[in-house]
Amino acid sequence: MVGDIIFTPTDFVAVFNQTIEYAYPSVIIEGELANFKVNRGRWVYFDIKDEVASVAFFGSVFQLPGPLEDGLKLRVLGHPRLHPRFGFSVNFDSIAPIGEGSIKKAADLLRVKLEGEGLFAPERKRLLPSLPARIGLITAEKSAACADFIKILNGQWGGIEILLADVLVQGQGAPEQLVAALNYFEQLSPLPDVLVITRGGGSADDLAAFNDERVVRAIAGSRTPTLVAIGHEVDISLAELAADVRASTPTNAAQIVAPDRVHIITQLKNEGRALENSVIGLFENELSHKRDIKKSLRGAIESLLATEREALKSNRRLSILFDPRAALRRGYALVSKGQKYIKSVKQVSGGDKLKIQLSDGTIGAIVRDK
Amino acid sequence: MAKAKNPSKNYQQLSAELAAIIDWFEGDQVNLDEAVVKYEQAMVLIVELENYLKTAENKVRKISARFK
Repeated sequence: MVGDIIFTPTDFVAVFNQTIEYAYPSVIIEGELANFKVNRGRWVYFDIKDEVASVAFFGSVFQLPGPLEDGLKLRVLGHPRLHPRFGFSVNFDSIAPIGEGSIKKAADLLRVKLEGEGLFAPERKRLLPSLPARIGLITAEKSAACADFIKILNGQWGGIEILLADVLVQGQGAPEQLVAALNYFEQLSPLPDVLVITRGGGSADDLAAFNDERVVRAIAGSRTPTLVAIGHEVDISLAELAADVRASTPTNAAQIVAPDRVHIITQLKNEGRALENSVIGLFENELSHKRDIKKSLRGAIESLLATEREALKSNRRLSILFDPRAALRRGYALVSKGQKYIKSVKQVSGGDKLKIQLSDGTIGAIVRDK
Repeated sequence: MAKAKNPSKNYQQLSAELAAIIDWFEGDQVNLDEAVVKYEQAMVLIVELENYLKTAENKVRKISARFK
């Protein structure tokens, strides 16, 4: 009979642990948090109780979802152990607040703590690249959120490499997987251009992972700019507050992360037309410049010609004035002796033969008196 | 019609080249001979960018690492 076996305490602890590990390798216990305390900043002790019973838990601060306080309703995953010296406890692996009130309370506690550290400060926000070549996508592969994001992104833009990290986005293990995926992208070389963490809407319980301190810190600490998109209309999760950019839905995330190619094609067409108009404008300017030159040259030549015409006219008048024949017509005469015109009486002597030229002919004459 | 001839360049490089030409046109050192050449280049770039936008597809690569 089993009752006949006599154990040493060490043997009993070993056999008990072996048995319990076989029967209940892990347990999930839900109840109210009591006697929560952190020892030396590292070890966590608390009880989960209901009206009748209370179970002791033990673990490290690194497994906490955020600040906790007594009275919160929690769901704790752990493995029961009988410690050789400190007795029975459940070593917890993960903790999640449950019920809307507790989830909200835990999120509020965490929000105050992280706000105090400046994790949500606007000055920490980085711009997303305008044209990402590689996107790290953290979501559940089979979810509608994942399908929506990829579908809309395909409509928006092409040539992007999407590195998909398939993770749980709700329930037990979701925070750990989200953090592991964020850490995975952190060590990639080169880093992705942007990280998109997305899921569809859900109850406060479904979205609890996005209010987990480890997830929020991993997002805030990411070297790659982050975009968090959770489809819901109620409270904004802390993960969204910590992200560089927040989108309202997975579809909205795809619209934010890449430009709309239809819009860009229209823009390109407009740019092409604008350049065409520039070139046409240049040609028109050149032509108009040439026309102006032609016009001004013509003007200069015309004015030169007019001046010349004036000069010619006045010269013509002068030449008429100086024409000796005009004087002859008026009754004057030209008197010549031999080949010389006589301008003075001193040039002639009595008996000289002179020629007197009148307008209509010449008269020969002899000087009688001198 | 201008034809694409820069398959080795990515969208951003082509886009930057087009932006440089547009900047040149907006500057005050524009001359007609160069403008015609640059206009031709711009038209080639626009065709290439449009082709890229119409044909480029995204690739989804699932990460094999398990996130536990």
